[in-house]
Amino acid sequence: MRNAAPFRAPKVSLRGGTPPARSTWRGGWLAAGIGLLLFFPLSSPDAFFLDVFTTGFLLAAFAASWDVVGGVSGQTTLGHALPFGTAAYACALLTSFAGWPLPLAVGAAVLLAAAVGAGIGTLSAPLAGPFVALLTLALGEIAHEVAVGHTFFSGPGGYAWGGEGGIPVALPWRDASPFSSYYAALGFLCLASFGMLRFLRSEAGLILRAVAGSPITAQASGVPIARFKRLAFAVGSAFAGAAGAGFALHVGRATATDLSLELSFQAATFAAVGGRGTIVGPVVAALVLHLLFQGLSLPPSVRVLLYALTLLLVLRFFPGGVVGTARDLASRLGGKEGGRSRRIRGRYRNGEGAP
Amino acid sequence: MNTLLSADGIVKSFGPTRVLSGVTLSVAPGEPVGLFGPNGSGKTTLVNILSGLLRPDAGTVRFDGEEITRLPLDARYRLGIARTFQIPHPYPSLSVREAVRVALAVDAGKRKEEGGTREGEEGPAEDLIARTGLFNQRFVSCAQLSQGCLRRLEFARGLACRPKLLILDEIFSALSAADEGDLTALLRAANRDEGTAFLLVSHNPPLLKSLCRRILVLEEGRIVRERIV
Repeated sequence: MRNAAPFRAPKVSLRGGTPPARSTWRGGWLAAGIGLLLFFPLSSPDAFFLDVFTTGFLLAAFAASWDVVGGVSGQTTLGHALPFGTAAYACALLTSFAGWPLPLAVGAAVLLAAAVGAGIGTLSAPLAGPFVALLTLALGEIAHEVAVGHTFFSGPGGYAWGGEGGIPVALPWRDASPFSSYYAALGFLCLASFGMLRFLRSEAGLILRAVAGSPITAQASGVPIARFKRLAFAVGSAFAGAAGAGFALHVGRATATDLSLELSFQAATFAAVGGRGTIVGPVVAALVLHLLFQGLSLPPSVRVLLYALTLLLVLRFFPGGVVGTARDLASRLGGKEGGRSRRIRGRYRNGEGAP
Repeated sequence: MNTLLSADGIVKSFGPTRVLSGVTLSVAPGEPVGLFGPNGSGKTTLVNILSGLLRPDAGTVRFDGEEITRLPLDARYRLGIARTFQIPHPYPSLSVREAVRVALAVDAGKRKEEGGTREGEEGPAEDLIARTGLFNQRFVSCAQLSQGCLRRLEFARGLACRPKLLILDEIFSALSAADEGDLTALLRAANRDEGTAFLLVSHNPPLLKSLCRRILVLEEGRIVRERIV
């Protein structure tokens, strides 16, 4: 081998030499939003609205959990209701049938949902793109059909359980006040969102974003793709299961609707509208759309139509969702102000700190 | 001769087309080897088989005395075989530093055992980024990098696992003179200072002669010549 040439120092340019600016306004908006939601019940709203909000908080956590799998990790799942419903049914069966104490049943339900997610992740690991969507759709529908068609007689009282009517959850309280349900669901949403954001910003979250972006480069960087896909499904399903258990406690029953395709599509719609891979976007979209469509007391068929229409419009005109569009808008406005803003724009759109 | 990587009787066909017909080669520890051949001679297929992206129809691949024929790409990277791609596939939503951190995450456990820090792995990441001349682009999205910077990033990714063998598939093609100069200097430094062996695939005989001790010529799926430089 010939003599080594001396290594030249890289040329210095200002481009990309400074870390991405952390926006403080995001934290401000978040604090204002949580503050408003904390004080909303003090305005003596109707119990119906409190119930709509409570359901909205649980659905928002569910939509964010879809985003962990479908957005951050790029595994488009159309059967995310499966871990949600599994946890709801586990809660109902363990408390009513096996007589487990509620906290233990909830913990077991969340673990079971995570195990179901890990199973789906294992099955879907060799697949990519639309095949993941088809597999998860099929698994979700099988579970839904089993839940709809399977009825049995309960031990105590000999009532028919299962089927469309579902299975009751044995709750240690009678008629929880709408206020306590509201605050419990809000607390759960905050904790779950915080947990999911922490996961997104962890090393595992970084690797999952890499797997979603370019699986072959990730694999050539030593990432065991199958293991990380399984992790994404397990974590997303655990959060979906926690939301499902919360939902079962709120309505006092697990029903076949908890496993429905409509619920899976709803989560995917919220994530697409809010901005995939952002966690916060799907939470905001779920809250706004659910409160709007449910609060107006629209019939279910009209709601489904409106969800589909919203999804079509967003995919056509705002493919990045609300958060992506807001970022683009901010970067365009920032671009007029000078060079530094333009430098940040490139990074902020796709680079570090983007989620 | 001590052997780091050896391939014995590698055969690969795609449908009725036989691409490799019994390729046998070996690379010694720290040895710089070149692979030259015309378009369609099977260079990339051979690289894909050596790096674990493809499995051969027949033949065996051994690394450090261990048979690795059925080991996938990621497991071979963890063993110490890193490869770069002719056409880089960048992560669209990650910055340069994050892309390097992904590759370093795999090596983090090893570094911890050796007494290095694990948390964040900022030290090794910044060091690698600086070595590959990407320091000023470290916060830029991978999707916005030029071809030259993408090749540098491929290099950084390859070096992150402190490989025993680096397989470079046409990494110098279509590069500016400055980028080519920097990358050849980096390759020489990795070979000289860290004893990294490399298998460099290239269409450029003068470049191969300047960097490699031995050049293998692949034609129609066979090694037809071997030249000591």
